[in-house]
This record gives sequence, C-alpha cells and structure tokens, in this order.
Amino acid sequence: MFKLAIKNIFYYKGRSITTFLLTFFSATLFIIFVSFMHGSHKTMLHNALKVYTGTIQIYQKDYRDEGGYDYLIFDNQKVFNSLEKIKGIKSYTSRVETFGIASSKNNSSAIMLTGVDFKKEAKISELKNALKTGKYNTKSNCLYIGEDLAKKLNISLDDELSFVGSAIDYSFAADIFKLCGTFKTGMYEFDNSSAFLNREYFDGLFYSQNASSYIVINVNDLDKNNYIASQISKSIGKDLKVYTWQDLMKSMVELVKVDSIFGYISMALFFMVIFFVILIYGFINISSRVKEFGVLKSIGLRDIDIDKILIYEILILTLSAIVIAICLGGSIAYYFEINPIVIEGISDMYKDYGIISDTVPTDFDIFTIFWNVSLIFSLNILSLIYPIYYVRTFTPVEAMRHV
Amino acid sequence: MKKLLIILTLALTLSANEASQIIKKLDNNMRGKDVYMKISMSIKSLRHERTMKMQTWAKGSKKSFIKVLYPPKDKGITFLSLNNEMWNYIPKIERTIKIPPSMMLQNWMGSDISNDDMVKQSSLVDDYNPKIIKKDAKLVTIELDAKDDAAVVWGKIVSVINTTHYTNVKDTFYDEDGNAVRVFTYAKVKKFGKYYLPTIWTIKPLNKKNNLTTMTIEDVVYDKGISDKYFRKSALKRFSR
Repeated sequence: MFKLAIKNIFYYKGRSITTFLLTFFSATLFIIFVSFMHGSHKTMLHNALKVYTGTIQIYQKDYRDEGGYDYLIFDNQKVFNSLEKIKGIKSYTSRVETFGIASSKNNSSAIMLTGVDFKKEAKISELKNALKTGKYNTKSNCLYIGEDLAKKLNISLDDELSFVGSAIDYSFAADIFKLCGTFKTGMYEFDNSSAFLNREYFDGLFYSQNASSYIVINVNDLDKNNYIASQISKSIGKDLKVYTWQDLMKSMVELVKVDSIFGYISMALFFMVIFFVILIYGFINISSRVKEFGVLKSIGLRDIDIDKILIYEILILTLSAIVIAICLGGSIAYYFEINPIVIEGISDMYKDYGIISDTVPTDFDIFTIFWNVSLIFSLNILSLIYPIYYVRTFTPVEAMRHV
Repeated sequence: MKKLLIILTLALTLSANEASQIIKKLDNNMRGKDVYMKISMSIKSLRHERTMKMQTWAKGSKKSFIKVLYPPKDKGITFLSLNNEMWNYIPKIERTIKIPPSMMLQNWMGSDISNDDMVKQSSLVDDYNPKIIKKDAKLVTIELDAKDDAAVVWGKIVSVINTTHYTNVKDTFYDEDGNAVRVFTYAKVKKFGKYYLPTIWTIKPLNKKNNLTTMTIEDVVYDKGISDKYFRKSALKRFSR
C-alpha cells in the first residue's frame, strides 16, 4: 500500500504539490508567529521582572491590602538569615518605600522615595544599568531619581530638592537633597515618580533601621521560582507572606494571556482556510479517482486497504512538509532569538505595556514547535475523513462506472 | 392630582430649605466669623500611638493657618490654606512647600484626617446639596451630596445633627462610589460665647480596623478679629517660631 501511495503522490502532482506547499507554509508561518508572540511576551515579563520587581517578594501580611508603616517587616535580619539557608536564590535585598512631596525651587510633585542598598540593588534590578546622568551609587543626602521626574521638577545634576513625608513613627520627616544621578528604565510611571536614597541615610531620616516595606529576591532558575517561593514560605514567620512574580504582576500576566488568545484566534481563522483548501483539493482529487478505487476493490482490495493508501499519501505529504517546516521555521525562530529584530521606536510606542527595548526577539522552544506542527498534522489528517467516507459509499461496480 | 403635586413640590422645597438652614447654622457654629483653636490630637494605629498639639486660626472657608506645637521634633511646622491652595513650612529645612491638590486627600501627619479636613477647604454650605433623610426629635439626619462642579473629595456625607444648638453628632463620609470610608463622632458640646462646639472628635477609618484618631479641642476663641497677617505666605515662617 505504501509503494502505491508513493506512486500516487508522484502521479497526482497538482494535488501533492498543493497539499505539500500549504502544509509547509502554514506550519512554518505558525512556528514563526508563535515564536514571535511568545518571544515578545517573555521579553515583556522578563523586562518587568528584571527592571525592578524581581521574581519573589516578601511582605508583612496585609501590607499590600492595608499599606502604611504599621505593616512593615520590622526584622529584616531574621528573614535574611532564613534566605541564606535556601538553595537557588541568586540575590536579595530589602527596600523601604515612603510617599511624600518632592519640591524644587518652582515645582512640587508627589513621589515615591525608596531607601535601597545600592550595591545589593545592582545585583537584583536594572537600576544601575538605567543610569542616564551622574552617579548610581550615591551617598549621604544624594538622590538618584527618574529622568522624567527630574524634568517635571525642572532640576539637573547638583541641584537641590526637598522632600517632605513622614518617618515610620509617623513624625514629620523632611530634608534637602542633592540630585546626584538620574535613570531611565523606560517605564514612564516609574521614571516619573520614583527617587532612590542610600539606605544608611534613609534609615537615619525615617527611623527605618532593620525594617523594610518588602524584601525582593531573584532566583537562579526562573522555572524553579515557585518551588523556591514555597521553600521561603515555610522558613519565614507566619506573619510574612511570599508573592511570586505571577502574583505581583497579575495584570501583565492577564494582558499576556489575552494577547495570546487573540493571536491564536487570528491563527485559527487562518488555519480554517488552510484546512478547507486542503480538504477541497483532497476531495476533488479523490473523487476524480473513484474509478481507480473501483478497479482496486474489484481485484480484491478491501475498504481498509483503500483507506490505508489515502492515509499513507497524506502522511507522506504532511510529514515531509512538516519536517522541512520545522527545519526552516525552527532555524528562523532560533536565529531571531539570538539576533532579535530591532524596530526603532517600538519601546516608545509600547512603553505602557512594559516594552523597554526596541528589540523583538523570538522564543525558540522545541516543545512549542512540536505542538505547533502537531496541530497542523492533525488538521491534515482530519481533512481526509470526509473523502474516505465518500469513497467508502461506493460499491466496486458503482465505483468503476463512476465518471 | 395637581394639588398633590404642588403640595409635594412645596414640601420638598421646604425640606431642602430647612436642611440648608440647619447646615448653615452648623457651619456658623464651626467657623464663626473667625475662630482660633488649640487642639490636642491622639493618633492610634496598629503599632504606633502618639500625641500632637497644635493651634489653628481660620477665617471663613478660604483662609486657615495651623501651627504644630508638640511633639518637639515637629514643633514650628506650619500650614497655610488660602483660596484652595495649601502651603507647608518646615523649620528644619527652612523651606515652604506647596501641597499639590492631588494630595489633599492624603492623611495629615499620620492621622486619620486628611489635609482637606485640617484646612477645611471644602465647605458643607457651598459644595454640597443637603437633604433631610430622618428626623428623630432634636436629631436630624441630613444627606449632603457633592455638587457636580464642587472640587471636593467626598461623594456624600451623612450627618447627624443635634438641632438644640446645631452641633454635629456623627458624620459618615462616603467615597464617589458610595462606600462608607470613615466616621466622625462628636462629644462634649461646650458653649464658647454665642457658639456651641463639640470638643471631642473621634475619627474612625472604616478600612483600617486598628486606627483611631481623637481630637480634643482644648481652647476656642470665636470672633476675636484674627489679623489677616496669619493668612499670608510670609506667616508660614514668621509664626513658625
């Protein structure tokens, strides 16, 4: 049957070429489309994690719901000691956030001032790499602020600005700072309202020694993130709560899901067209071969043998097209993962969605490619069901008389 | 039917007028022509408890001045509200800072009252439409709905007023979505000249179960003719000492 199927493939060139090309192009396109879609989503999430969020954060229970200084972590060291014992943690640091008014000579703005350990922060976030002007590791009363905030306050390096807020005992905390550095992460809200102060000076002003709003952690392997989070959860006190990046960035995760759904819907419409084209071409071809099947049946072939011939034909065509599609589509996905496409200005256009670079990489993933082509393969097999059913409706005599 | 409609319209108009009159009398009791107060404020939260003392000077709803007296660390901090703008002077850094309108709803110095409450920029008389919703002997409950064009932070205030001397008993503040956010309760009404004022105010935010702010009005002087020099930007530094 197999040899007969191969002969048929070469004999019915039109149908074979059409099926082969449609399968090949749709599989290649699907691999590339999905790799770009996953690549841009992955980049979006990774950028957001890399820039500031980290992969795990630890909070005092209720901090994220109630907020305020009553729900700070009041013993950082105890948590740090627990983290030291857990394998897979790449780096960690604590941050204290406070909100207040920053004022230059002429302008005021509500800002978030965060006390950070600049050295540890460099290992966990992109703040250091986001440096635009001045210095990153600022000391004493030096501030490192978002470039857009500096513009809003109309200040440049070495200018003075005051900050008024409250210390963690709720007393008034105010000081005059010097602008020592500016950063730009590309996340507009962040760059427009954030300022960082070295932890030592911050603690003196806000009485926040050994306290923090939260502790941020990066892991060595993102795939083990949830496991490490559960380990941390077990080792720290019950009054603390561990959040993974999926919890922290729920809206972005949802956005990615919705975008993926729309992507798959548009691809599904495309596949519907491909499926029907293959089905119609296959059906036209098979219906023109009814007489041939009649002859085969009359010399003793059973219906199941005819089915086998047709299945072999579609299997050979589909598999050969898919193998080439995997090679080509996979190569393209792999190449653009290493050498991402650069689209100038895309980060400006989509900064609200967490895009902070102009590169659009793909995501080369064997498993994804496998399920992409499996879907195409299944559709091709499905397209054979009706033609097989159609051929089976003929008796050998009817089939031989069929015109 | 026509008669019924006329009676109904008349009744509604009279009720609105009565509500307005009550609110005006209440507002007059709170503000007088001008008013000076010395206030002690106790602030309790989950982990903190502290006391503050301050003096306030106010003239109408557009001018008010506050000076913090205690604790020593915060002594001399002054606030000025003038024509819907607010400034703050901090002696430690010798700077006057303009508080952006967006921060008027922020808590004032860690308490459960907002910047807007402290300077009383929004006026119950000018910014809200009053409507009587319940009468119980001398206690009248009035619903105050924010006017469409009013720059106020609350969507609605339900106020229980004792009409014996036109003083507050309880205020419930609602946000724009109609959710109750906090409750003010008032006690110990005292007479100051021709005015009556509750001298203990308790503020309970409904979303923070452990928080409670109590304001005790220790001294009040009405209509003493507060000088306009308190309501200039220069006063922030001048009266800080």
